Amino acid sequence: MTFRTRLLLVFTVTVMISVGVVEWMVTSATRDAFERMDAQRDDALVAQFRKECDRRGREIARTVKGIAASDESLAIAIAPDYAPFYSQAGALASAHSLDLLELVAGDGTIVSSAEWPARFGYKEEWLAGAADWPARGAFLKREELPDGVTLALVAVGVVNAGDRQLFVVGGQQLDSEFLSTLVLPAGMHVLLYRNLETQFSPRELVDSGGSSTRAAELQPLIEQATAGGREITRTIGSGASSERFHAVPLKGNEDNLLGILLIGSSRRDLVELEASLRRNGILVASFGILVGILMSVWAAARITRPVQRLAESAGKVAAGEWATTVEIASRDEVGKLAEAFNRMTHELVEQRERLVQAERVAAWRELARRLAHELKNPLFPLQITVENMQRARERYPEQFEEVFREGTQTLLAELANLKQIIGRFSDFAKMPAPEMQPVDFNQLAADTTRLFEAQFTQARVAVKTELDPHLRPVAADPEQMTRVLRNLILNAIDAMPEGGTLTLRTIAAGAAVRIEVADTGQGLSPEECQRLFTPYYTTKTHGTGLGLAIVQSVISDHKGRISVESQPGRGTTFRIDLG
Amino acid sequence: MCLRWFAVHSVRHPVLLSRARQQAACLAILFALTHPTHAATRPHYGGTLRVEMHEAIESPDPPQSGPGMADLAGAFAISRWEAGRRAVYTADEDAAGGRPFLDAVDIQMGRSLRDQAIDLELGRADLVELGPSEARKSPAGRQMWTTAPVRVMALVFGARVDDARVREALSLAVDRAAILNVLLQRQGEISGALLPQWLSGYAFLFAGAADIARARALAGSLPAASRTFTLGFEDPALRPVADRIALNARDAGLAISVTPQSAAADARLVEVRIASADPARALTAVAAALALPQPGRLDSPEALFEAERSLLEGFRVVPLFHLPEVYGAGQRVQGGPGVSPLGEWRFELLFLEGGRP
Repeated sequence: MTFRTRLLLVFTVTVMISVGVVEWMVTSATRDAFERMDAQRDDALVAQFRKECDRRGREIARTVKGIAASDESLAIAIAPDYAPFYSQAGALASAHSLDLLELVAGDGTIVSSAEWPARFGYKEEWLAGAADWPARGAFLKREELPDGVTLALVAVGVVNAGDRQLFVVGGQQLDSEFLSTLVLPAGMHVLLYRNLETQFSPRELVDSGGSSTRAAELQPLIEQATAGGREITRTIGSGASSERFHAVPLKGNEDNLLGILLIGSSRRDLVELEASLRRNGILVASFGILVGILMSVWAAARITRPVQRLAESAGKVAAGEWATTVEIASRDEVGKLAEAFNRMTHELVEQRERLVQAERVAAWRELARRLAHELKNPLFPLQITVENMQRARERYPEQFEEVFREGTQTLLAELANLKQIIGRFSDFAKMPAPEMQPVDFNQLAADTTRLFEAQFTQARVAVKTELDPHLRPVAADPEQMTRVLRNLILNAIDAMPEGGTLTLRTIAAGAAVRIEVADTGQGLSPEECQRLFTPYYTTKTHGTGLGLAIVQSVISDHKGRISVESQPGRGTTFRIDLG
Repeated sequence: MCLRWFAVHSVRHPVLLSRARQQAACLAILFALTHPTHAATRPHYGGTLRVEMHEAIESPDPPQSGPGMADLAGAFAISRWEAGRRAVYTADEDAAGGRPFLDAVDIQMGRSLRDQAIDLELGRADLVELGPSEARKSPAGRQMWTTAPVRVMALVFGARVDDARVREALSLAVDRAAILNVLLQRQGEISGALLPQWLSGYAFLFAGAADIARARALAGSLPAASRTFTLGFEDPALRPVADRIALNARDAGLAISVTPQSAAADARLVEVRIASADPARALTAVAAALALPQPGRLDSPEALFEAERSLLEGFRVVPLFHLPEVYGAGQRVQGGPGVSPLGEWRFELLFLEGGRP
């Protein structure tokens, strides 16, 4: 991954995170604001509903008071016998649009009941208490009906006629019909749970259309409100169909919990608003991210251009163009870096030139030392032989012939030695270019090993060949490769003066080949390994130090690679990779 | 007026009065004492008496026996019959007792008691039946003719209510006094007997008082399934009574649901009219109407009592009240009462104001 790509990624991620966080914060803050507004609206709606309920309660109380104040009620109150009036409540209730109406004598005996006409003569004990009923207004009451129990909003009116008293208990059932007559704000609906049984009963949950089908989803809220006895607000459902329900416990005359009023307001508008907000937020964020990415591309390009130039220049330096420099376009850190780079390459070039000169001098010195060393050995016998021959001519002329014959043989032998030394140097200097052809390295290794059989025997070296049968021919110069193997085998024999095992191994690596020559000699130190391929370097007491240099030169000409692995006392392994 | 009715009736129908007739006559005298009329009124001929009744007789022919229309046969002849709706009788010029004063009697059937009261009030009817609540009122100009308690209101249990304890529990739970005082407006009398006291003389021996504690105890000993049943009523006017009985039953631990589907109900609230002043014949007729076994020998008051006791044993039928029939007559109707203490229609003596002198 390039620096520009990485920088672009960093910029992009930063932009995305920043835009995302900002978008989230803005959306959250806006949603909270809308939620607060919605909650305030709900509170206003609930307050409005309560006002409506209060208004209905006052209406009922006023109606009941009106009935109590009527001449009809007075006539009943003062009548010596209530029997003729047993059906009067029904007519009065019908005339005043009340669901429930009972006329109750001062002792609590029901004179007439609209909701349960058959109950005349029964007692309404709760009325007997000395309460100021007209001042109390409307209140909730559990009412028994022939077909069950219901919840009603009732008021009590009192007719006082001398020492006689008549209670007028009238009201309206809190049922679907009552709910349907309530004037509700738009988007709001009301359900009523009548807490008339000991456990939750789904059929006691009604709305303006009758029995509600939402008992299952509202049950937890109802039970919670029933248990706590206080108002709670919960959101029921999810998404656009969710609703916020305000559960209002309804308490009766004796502070007993008679019902739970559930005022629901749809959250559709809010949810749609939030969805719209979210959509717009995503659009804005996407646009912001897109712009951010484009800006990041531009910024990354601008920032990385000098660095890229520096990298390219560094690459050129690595490729050998040491004189490469970069343009200094700014005075910032990157500019300073470019300046430092230019200074570095300049010094590098100078140091390289100095190093080359030093190496060249060192090489010449080494060559001179070698030459002197190599040439000194043959020259000394030459000098001795010539001096012997001179001495024999002057002092022992009769023996001169014999001395001369022996001397010339020695001279010729030493001259041949000199010639051989010069030839080796000449060979190293004039290494020919390899003539490439497919070479079966298994065969080459076998043939080369066979050449040294006598020497192996003499040096007590056991040979082990591990040749890979899957090896394929590889392009190489067979002559030069034979020379490489010979050099390595000779080195191995020299490394095992006490004898040992030489292992020649070939390994197929796809189309390539690996050749390993391993001995069990005394091994090499890391420093020796490091300098092993240096020309004229040798660890032996004899030799020119050109063998491994030639080997490396050949392998290099074959675009191959040679390496050495050795540990003192454990032998040495040369490894050649070709192809 | 009653004395006059008795005298005229005796003259127009010169037959030997039976014991029942004698009893009825006595009742009539008592009735007459409570209903004084204008003695100086002279009868007029002509006019149609408009009568309304809540019963709708669906038979293809007008009834030939029993109280009501059948009583008109001596003085009037049927001239128009619309089953269940209307019947018109015209005066029989050749009637044995002489031509009646009225030209015709036009009877509207199937009219509710409330509608009848309204029609009487508005002058659309001359003679109507009155319900208990209307009977308590006495607007100016209205005449009210009340018979002896000739209807027995009773609970009749079907085969499904097979546990006598259930029937007895309900019998004990019913607060007859409250029903009589309020719903029936004290029209009639509480009774535990099939025949009214005035007819049998021993009705007081049959208990009719409520005993809610015993009713609860009985109901408490019953399995839950048998404590629940339905109560039907034949006449919609009986609905309030049925509802009150259901409420009383609830207090005793019985669950009764009231239904207008009388035929399918487990128990029924019925009214049976006593058409005869002869206790034996009346008991036989009542037993037949209530699908009770026919009583055996009824030749003595003791046998009659024993037969009735036997009929009521097991509480298959629980008598509740004996009720009179109450008629309201308009101001222009003269010559009444046109109804005998036994509830027989005696319209041949009636005449209308404004007719031919």
